[in-house]
Amino acid sequence: MAKETLIEARGLKRYYRRGSEVVKAVDGIDLDIRSGEMVSVMGPSGSGKTTLIHLLSCLDAPTGGTLTIMGRAVGGLAEDELTKVRRGVLGFVFQNFYLLPTLNVAENVELPLLFYRQPVKRDETLEVLRRVSLEDRARHMPNQLSGGQMQRVAIARALIIRPKILIADEPTGNLDSENGEAVFELFRSLVRDRGITVLVTTHNTPLGRLADRIITLKDGRIDGDSHRDSRNSPG
Amino acid sequence: MRFVSLALKNLIRRPVRTGLTIAGVALAVAVAVSLAGFNLGYQQAIERSIDRLGFQMMIMAKGCPYEAATMMLKGGTGLLYLPSDTYDTVRSDPEIQSITPIFIAVAEKEVSGIREDSSSAFAILAGVEVQSFMEMKPWLQFETGPGFDGGRWFRQDSAEEVVMGYEAATYEQRKVGDTFLATIYPHGMPDPVLKEFRIVGIFKRTGTQDDGTVFMPIEAAQVLFNRPDQLTILGIKLKEFSGAKLQEFESRWIKLPEVQVVSLEQVKSTLVLLIGTAQVMIAAVAVIAVVVAIIGVINTILMSVYERTGEIGIMKALGAFRGDVFQLIWLETLTICVLGAISGGALALAGSRLTESAIKALIDIGIQGSIVTISWEVLAGAFVGAMVVGFFAGLYPAWRASSMLPIDAIREGIG
Repeated sequence: MAKETLIEARGLKRYYRRGSEVVKAVDGIDLDIRSGEMVSVMGPSGSGKTTLIHLLSCLDAPTGGTLTIMGRAVGGLAEDELTKVRRGVLGFVFQNFYLLPTLNVAENVELPLLFYRQPVKRDETLEVLRRVSLEDRARHMPNQLSGGQMQRVAIARALIIRPKILIADEPTGNLDSENGEAVFELFRSLVRDRGITVLVTTHNTPLGRLADRIITLKDGRIDGDSHRDSRNSPG
Repeated sequence: MRFVSLALKNLIRRPVRTGLTIAGVALAVAVAVSLAGFNLGYQQAIERSIDRLGFQMMIMAKGCPYEAATMMLKGGTGLLYLPSDTYDTVRSDPEIQSITPIFIAVAEKEVSGIREDSSSAFAILAGVEVQSFMEMKPWLQFETGPGFDGGRWFRQDSAEEVVMGYEAATYEQRKVGDTFLATIYPHGMPDPVLKEFRIVGIFKRTGTQDDGTVFMPIEAAQVLFNRPDQLTILGIKLKEFSGAKLQEFESRWIKLPEVQVVSLEQVKSTLVLLIGTAQVMIAAVAVIAVVVAIIGVINTILMSVYERTGEIGIMKALGAFRGDVFQLIWLETLTICVLGAISGGALALAGSRLTESAIKALIDIGIQGSIVTISWEVLAGAFVGAMVVGFFAGLYPAWRASSMLPIDAIREGIG
């Protein structure tokens, strides 16, 4: 069955000026992200992984090319319009967790609902926390959690708004291998059980290979794009 | 969770910094409230004191009318006298409703031994005509209770009876029936005279200069001080009180030699103006305090915004619009100002007596009674002022935060 294309990029470019030099962080990328995929974006430092993720998630504006999210072209949109595009479609997980230290776990998870003007239903919050195995930590403060637990709270925060696409930028960068594996297994279960598309950048090759699809970047361009099936098939 | 609760939680991240900023606002509000309370209280005290003089016009010996008026309000020395026949001349004016002659002099008290404060060694003696004086001041009543019962006016022909104001009596711990000793320095006589008086009545507290005065029959006072044909002032109440009538009256009697006519309305305005310079100085201090508080608030919120750059980026990534971020930061500013206003108002209220003592110590007000009135209107005005200040102080930090591009904010936060 053909999967729905959620993100479509054509000739995507992002250039920066650094003094007199122009840095081509993303230099012409064509990419389709379909529903129900877990996609790892890998590559050496400076290859453009994070820049690409930020472009695909409408947190940054491309210098050139086109980008369509859920069928809507996002080129030239103002900041608040981009926010509307992100809302309800994209959920985010970052390397540094960014939990608000003055809110407990449940309140951190419910934070997006404040901006969405949606009422808080504590049983839904607990359900999401149960999904990430943290329902017994609902009243804990972030400084009472381990790194792995904080990252799972961040994932729960991204899930509370029921996104179609979960974007994670180096989510295991500050975690040990055990917690890193647990996070990737969680991503796989979200794809499998809830049909959420997960797009994740990582330096960690073994973890990255757990994804259904691996996109490898080099010098701002796609150097490889392989699916699990094609990787595992002989010859 | 609401934006207000999120704003409060953000503020308590740095409790010391937030507390100090609130304290700065509180101090500014306290100064502003105290100043406004002083303005209001001083005007009310002047009106009260002048209204409680009982008369609208004064005729007195020529000199500085305002000095004389201030002397009337607080009592003092350096008095000038006018001839007694001025009274007979002026009282014939058909526009006069009532007129009372007053003779004022200063005597040296024989202290009771309980208090030996040299600054209170002198007593203001006021010779008055009972009937006309009471017509001017019908609110004067005698104190009752143990030690005060049986109070009455002195007999008009008595030279040994006095009636004391409340503070004059209680300062010396005198009761009705006690003796009041004073050393009189008769005009033109080489030797002082020690005189013993019997206290026949003590007035209830009025909150005016009468509280510190010793009253006696005017004729007896004139004889004692060897000024039989002299008066200090004529207090006058007109049948019709208007600006035009006051001016007409003044123009009729200003012709008398060595006499001046003083309208108490003019005195009121001038006494208010006299304190104007001090008020301007205090207002300048209040303005500086407010400006410093505003700068402190803006600085605190800006620092908080810069510290939370990454978080702000994340909030935008999580779905916050620019307006949401603006609202959040602006609420934090308003919260600081509201808490500062409440604290400052409470501080001004609690310290109003101290403020009053400090002002009276620094400036010779010349007014009896309370001069600081912190009304609900003053507090409400200060609260609204703090909100307005917070409204504007929060604009730049809120705009700054809301203008951050999410990715720039996230990158800066990581950096």
